[in-house]
Amino acid sequence: MNFIDRLGTELLFFDGAMGTMLQEQGLQSGELPEIWNDTKEEVILNIHKRYLEAGCNIVKANTFGINSFKLKDSGYSCEELTEKGIKLVKRAIAESKKEAYTALDIGSLGKLLEPLGELSFEEAYTSFQQVCIAGEQAGADLCLIETMNDTYEMKAAILAAKENTKLPIVVTMVLDENGKLLTGADMEAAVAMLEGLRVDALGLNCGFGPDVMKNFLPQLREVCSLPLVVNPNAGLPVVVNGKTCYHVGPEEFAKIMRKIALEGVSILGGCCGTTPAHIQALVQACKDIKPLEITEKNRSVVSSYTHAVLFEQKPKIIGERINPTGKSRFKQALREKDLEYIYKEALMQQEKGAHILDVNVGLPEIDEVEMMKEVVVGLQGITDLPLQIDTSDAIAMEMAMRLYNGKPLLNSVNGKQESMDTVFPLVAKYGGMIVCLTLDENGIPETAKGRIEIAEKIIKEAAKYGIKKKDLLIDTLTMTISTGQENAQITLEALHYVREVLEVHTTLGVSNISFGLPQREKVNTAFFTIALSQGLSAGIINPNSEAMMSAYYAYCALNGSDSQCTNYINLYSEAKQPNVMSSNNNEITLFDAVVKGLVESARQAAKKELKTRPPLAVIDEELIPALDQVGQGFEKKTVFLPQLLMSAEAAKAGFDAIKEHLKVQGDTSASKGTIVIATVKGDIHDIGKNIVKVLLENYGFQVIDLGKDVEPEIVVEAAKTNHVKLVGLSALMTTTVANMELTIQQLKKELPECKIMVGGAVLTQTYADMIGADFYSKDAMGSVRYANDLFDINN
Amino acid sequence: MINRKETLRYLGYLGQKIDEQTQKFIEEVEVELENSSSPKSIYREYNCDINGDTILIDGLVINSANLAKNLKECKHVVLLAATIGRAADMMIKKYAVTNLAKSVIVQAAGAAYIESYVDEIEETIRKYAKEQELYLRPRFSPGYGDFSLEYQKDIFAMLECSRRIGITLTEGNLMIPTKSVTAVIGLTTKERASCQKETCSQCEKQDCEFRQREIIMPCGVL
Repeated sequence: MNFIDRLGTELLFFDGAMGTMLQEQGLQSGELPEIWNDTKEEVILNIHKRYLEAGCNIVKANTFGINSFKLKDSGYSCEELTEKGIKLVKRAIAESKKEAYTALDIGSLGKLLEPLGELSFEEAYTSFQQVCIAGEQAGADLCLIETMNDTYEMKAAILAAKENTKLPIVVTMVLDENGKLLTGADMEAAVAMLEGLRVDALGLNCGFGPDVMKNFLPQLREVCSLPLVVNPNAGLPVVVNGKTCYHVGPEEFAKIMRKIALEGVSILGGCCGTTPAHIQALVQACKDIKPLEITEKNRSVVSSYTHAVLFEQKPKIIGERINPTGKSRFKQALREKDLEYIYKEALMQQEKGAHILDVNVGLPEIDEVEMMKEVVVGLQGITDLPLQIDTSDAIAMEMAMRLYNGKPLLNSVNGKQESMDTVFPLVAKYGGMIVCLTLDENGIPETAKGRIEIAEKIIKEAAKYGIKKKDLLIDTLTMTISTGQENAQITLEALHYVREVLEVHTTLGVSNISFGLPQREKVNTAFFTIALSQGLSAGIINPNSEAMMSAYYAYCALNGSDSQCTNYINLYSEAKQPNVMSSNNNEITLFDAVVKGLVESARQAAKKELKTRPPLAVIDEELIPALDQVGQGFEKKTVFLPQLLMSAEAAKAGFDAIKEHLKVQGDTSASKGTIVIATVKGDIHDIGKNIVKVLLENYGFQVIDLGKDVEPEIVVEAAKTNHVKLVGLSALMTTTVANMELTIQQLKKELPECKIMVGGAVLTQTYADMIGADFYSKDAMGSVRYANDLFDINN
Repeated sequence: MINRKETLRYLGYLGQKIDEQTQKFIEEVEVELENSSSPKSIYREYNCDINGDTILIDGLVINSANLAKNLKECKHVVLLAATIGRAADMMIKKYAVTNLAKSVIVQAAGAAYIESYVDEIEETIRKYAKEQELYLRPRFSPGYGDFSLEYQKDIFAMLECSRRIGITLTEGNLMIPTKSVTAVIGLTTKERASCQKETCSQCEKQDCEFRQREIIMPCGVL
């Protein structure tokens, strides 16, 4: 019988530790155990046989550490060690005459993925792909992805296995003492993603002994609808005389594992410190147990890389602000690839209480696929909210789903056959909840009944792909009441029916209701409240609207989902005085606002100044003198670094107000000049570079920031295409100054006229001269002075 | 616990007046960082052999005159790795977008946090060592003096840093999360050879702006 048929219907047993056994046989700490597949195959073969004798029916091949990064200097290829590893298990099974399955064992790459690490998702995928293909070819029966502590890496491994093999996939994770992955993800988030990717079983391994692991299982069972796997250590590692030991003996191990089995799991086995004796005791203790039936938990859930958002009695807020429709400033940001503007929108909505962020970056004149990829990856680096991928471009949607670290919400599918044919396969493959618009080939039905019928059609079609009702979010479409008064009623009637009768969650783009009316917020708020009471599960709204958010919090207090009104009281008990700052600010001058580093005051003061003075005068007589004063203070060490930065940001707000003003007047006054800056290859420290950037911008330069760990070629390319005459390079480590020198050499060769300024903790004037830089800046203000001098002379 | 004085030192603080807003930002960052970080560490004791400038630690051969001097006559060493986790790096990225001053404060507070966390671990090791009448030499990390960063790879493999506590290495042997520390701590039988803690005043880089010096703190800063 094959593995999948037996999974969940009878208890299955993994073997125990490999590493522990190899250390006993003389494996040195730091030595790669997988090389023994070639050099000491008898040792490996014997260990497998001993576990088979002990009664396990799934044997992990000795392939855990095989990946292109760990094997780089080993002289072995991933393929050959994988093949040898699988073949050794198969030989052991054949020679022992046992019935057992061979698991291709895949561990972590030991590299951190983007955005924090340097490994891209696709590079991780490629590395896993090699091992998956080789493993299946050599005859593995299943793929075990284990000891995982990062959801993103898990996703890369799962996709590699799914797309390149037909093997069943089992995933086990390591938790810390708080029940979380090392990335901070909780179990709920990880399970949401894994179920969405349709793995065959999931569970826990390593980290703890069975006693501690047992405590995490109730929580896992509560959220998981898949067969569970439990592979604990033989207790916590203890170092005795330089050797790592584990103290839970076979009998004790088996006793606790029996309890775990009775509470409901499908596969049991062992990790570090467990031996054939542990597995034998485990099998003896548990073999008579029938696994409990696995129940469908029916949770409507999306997740980010840290947490899950559950659709339930308490409605959710989906922030709608990341969308260019009707927003000229946002369109401009997209055209200029001003991602920082988009990120600010994201963080602002999070601060205001959004639970999920809609992401729409479609604009006819830009490459939406590339922009979507970049924004999704970028947003995951700065916010932990789940994202709603909003696009009508199927390729953009698929790329975003692939790169998304979690289970996304998708926007959207509709009742058109073509739409369903395109989108549902993506949901089936990557997982996700999906917004379903109740329109089809015949347009938007003008009756509630018509919209309900489309909803039913979509539900039925989704089922063909194995997509359950719990993963749908039906949108009964908000139409403005300015063109038909019955519109609100139709939407609400259909909404109520979908939620109460069809028992599917619902969503609406709320603000459409008031299109064409004055003071739209008034209508929006009322409609939002009614919709919530009719069963709206999630409103797509602007969280920056105080009125909408108040309506939301009040509703939650009223419908009982805000327990004891705690949230409401916390938010509104202290009479908020949002205008105190700005009323005080009326008296503060732009100069003072910048010197004191007050961002909002500087913006207001600049706007006020612009009413009475020309923009250039505001810059020359207020902003620049204020910056100079703070900058000089910093150089004389009377002003402290954070204060300099606050002033810089206040000045930036002032400049933004001026730019906005100029644009309204159709004036596109040129910047002082363009400067390319970068932290050099190999270096991941970019704070110094970020400081330089904001100060240069303050003084009117346009700065092209290439980020950190930048290849010399990319710096040269950017300097060339933008015809810049100044490049700034930063390096913090002694080891990366060599790359700085390399970058300078390439720049000097390709662009002899271009000046190069350098800075960073380890640099000195002598060092800078040695590597051929034109200027060494000991701090951020130095770079401003140099740039000013250089561009003045050249003008 | 984050040591405020150390945070200020990493910010290049020289006793300037700290305004209300800066003070508030520092306090907010400390709270957020402590709430969202989960410090983790791993350490193991090994036998050690020193021959001239060559140090042998359980199969690992290190060539470094500075480390050899540090470990003089030690028969045992502890290899240690510790991290406060990814929260600091995520906060630095987030605040680089919304509030650069806070981003810089997280950088400094994160550095202060990992140092004090490693000090705590060292205290635990000190107690354990004392039971065996051994004393701790000042901890010494790859990158100090002529102790090459290349050895990070070996220390990572021996302690299983990535698997156990989630620290990874870049191509250039830098650690991510960035607020992480690896170190070698010699265990000596001579109490006098140990010292409580090596301060950065022993470093050769005299002109370093982060060099520890006595700063008179204005009231209310700490």
